[in-house]
Amino acid sequence: MGILGWRTKMIDSIKKNSLEFFNTNGLPSKKLENWKFTSSRNFKNFSEPLSNDQKSVDFDTDELSLVFINGVLNQESLKNFKFSHLLEVQSLYSVKSKNLLECSDNFLNESMFNLGISEFENGSYISFKKNSVIDEVINIKNYFLKDNEDKRISSFNIFHIGQGSEISIMEQDFKENYSIFNLKLNKFICEDSTIFKYGKSFNDNSKTHSLSYSYYQLKKDVSLKIDSMVKCSFFNKEFIEVDLNNTGSEAKINILNLGKENHHVDNNILINHNAEHCTSFQHVRNVLDNKSTAVFNGKVIVSEGAQQTDSNQSNKNLLLSLDSNAFSNPQLEIYADDVSCGHGSTTGALDENSIFYLRARGINRAAAQKILIKAFAKEVIDDFSLSSLQDISEIALDSWIDG
Amino acid sequence: MIKIDRLKASIDDKEILKGIDLEIPAGEVHVIMGRNGSGKSTLANVIAGNEAYEVDSGSIAMNNNDITEMSIENRALEGIFLCFQYPVAIPGVGMAYFLRSALNAHRKHQGKDEMDALEFLNNAKKILSELGLDDSFLKRSINDGFSGGEKKKSEILQLLTINPKLAVLDETDSGLDVDALRTVAKGVNKFKNENNSVLIITHYQRLLDYIKPDVVHLMIDGKIVKSGDMSLVEKVEKDGYSWLEN
Repeated sequence: MGILGWRTKMIDSIKKNSLEFFNTNGLPSKKLENWKFTSSRNFKNFSEPLSNDQKSVDFDTDELSLVFINGVLNQESLKNFKFSHLLEVQSLYSVKSKNLLECSDNFLNESMFNLGISEFENGSYISFKKNSVIDEVINIKNYFLKDNEDKRISSFNIFHIGQGSEISIMEQDFKENYSIFNLKLNKFICEDSTIFKYGKSFNDNSKTHSLSYSYYQLKKDVSLKIDSMVKCSFFNKEFIEVDLNNTGSEAKINILNLGKENHHVDNNILINHNAEHCTSFQHVRNVLDNKSTAVFNGKVIVSEGAQQTDSNQSNKNLLLSLDSNAFSNPQLEIYADDVSCGHGSTTGALDENSIFYLRARGINRAAAQKILIKAFAKEVIDDFSLSSLQDISEIALDSWIDG
Repeated sequence: MIKIDRLKASIDDKEILKGIDLEIPAGEVHVIMGRNGSGKSTLANVIAGNEAYEVDSGSIAMNNNDITEMSIENRALEGIFLCFQYPVAIPGVGMAYFLRSALNAHRKHQGKDEMDALEFLNNAKKILSELGLDDSFLKRSINDGFSGGEKKKSEILQLLTINPKLAVLDETDSGLDVDALRTVAKGVNKFKNENNSVLIITHYQRLLDYIKPDVVHLMIDGKIVKSGDMSLVEKVEKDGYSWLEN
């Protein structure tokens, strides 16, 4: 575990060091394990970083929404937020606790993460107070300034879920059809006995590149659910790292990616079982058509002493064309002897026997294929913990299949 | 109803059916028996239009309409229904959705309006009750996690829902206990009437204790070599098939 070690007077120095790291290491090459099947060459097209320009942008907000413009929390939406009395918000520059700023060593060794650190401005530390139980789903709405087209937008925010809290967040991007490079860094801290559901949907036909690093620290008896649906993303690479640091916690991750044309979707998930009696579950499904590509790098590390770990990792890829590709790399590293860990990966086309079965009941081939694609994707959608994400995903899936 | 004329068919360049002649008029139940590998299931699949098989020569006609080159789904819409020997499991596709999609594809083909969800559910529940199945069956994925008996009952549920012209039962009795066998037979008896036909492919007499056939055909090496009444079934039960080779 590394510590960014920011204090106001140090921050310029830290950002300078991160920039030096990036300048020394450059864009990630395919020699790196996590970038073996991912090209970073298009990143150069977005080489100009965004200036700290907070021009107004039209956005829709309501009392259940927090709006971020270019990755920066909008104060107006915060004022309107129904549960603002349960929040403590401060600038990351004001955060003094080193513990809050701990970050994954793996991320600190990532060139692009360092670039994001060096470039972000006005990040927020958003803390839900102890025992904040919110039944309704909080929307995070990301808006982007249109005159930043073809720019790289770096952001960093920390979310802190206070002890005994129950929080559900649904995140969506709202952007017209223009391209940006969204380099997004997030940290989530879940205190003891929290229930945190975090859903994300990405549906964008532009040439936007999205690269995100999300680091989750779980304490005792935490239930974390991360659900994600990505449709038609030109480039979408996500790093998720979860530390299960105390007993009785669980992390469940369900991801559905729908790729067409030359789309690239890329999930890099690391679960660190650092304590006894924890559970983790990864379920990533990719449906790929045309020349689209998917990468799954999933890893579970069970530390010595993390007995009674229960972990399962599954990656399934459905290829609808001969030119689509899926690269799957599920890994387990186990240093404890009383654990239950499983992993598996399958890649293949639609099952002709199933198509025959449906056709033998009068359903034509095209309709049979749609039914089977939908069934494949639905198995993940049904496991999403947020019904709003389920609804969004089903609509997106239907239009993806018909599109 | 169905007329098969000098049908030859192969898979992977291996000839399996070597000249099948078979005619099943409306209102009749026919049975085909034969050793393993004699071509019984191949015949069922070729009738259904399985594209894994190649028809080399001959023809299949339904109600004087040549369907030899017809697609699988169009054959189904013309009234052919194959009860699969090994129904596939399709996780994620609910039985109710599947059944209603299939039924409405047939209704559309027949120029009828789609059946609304309520009417469909009421009909389906009646059939389920007759088959001794719980309503929750409709919420399950197609054949996913079904027992052997449930899979065969699922086939009969589909048969009774779609109500085709010709039901081809490919070893539907295999792997069934007595109670499940009776239930399946009850479903088939409920289905059959003077306007439709049934072709049963089986190894055993026991299903025929409940469904009385009009004609029994014996198949050897890709050909129907003898046809007759129930006495043929008793002869096969007693003496096997070797007497047919003499």
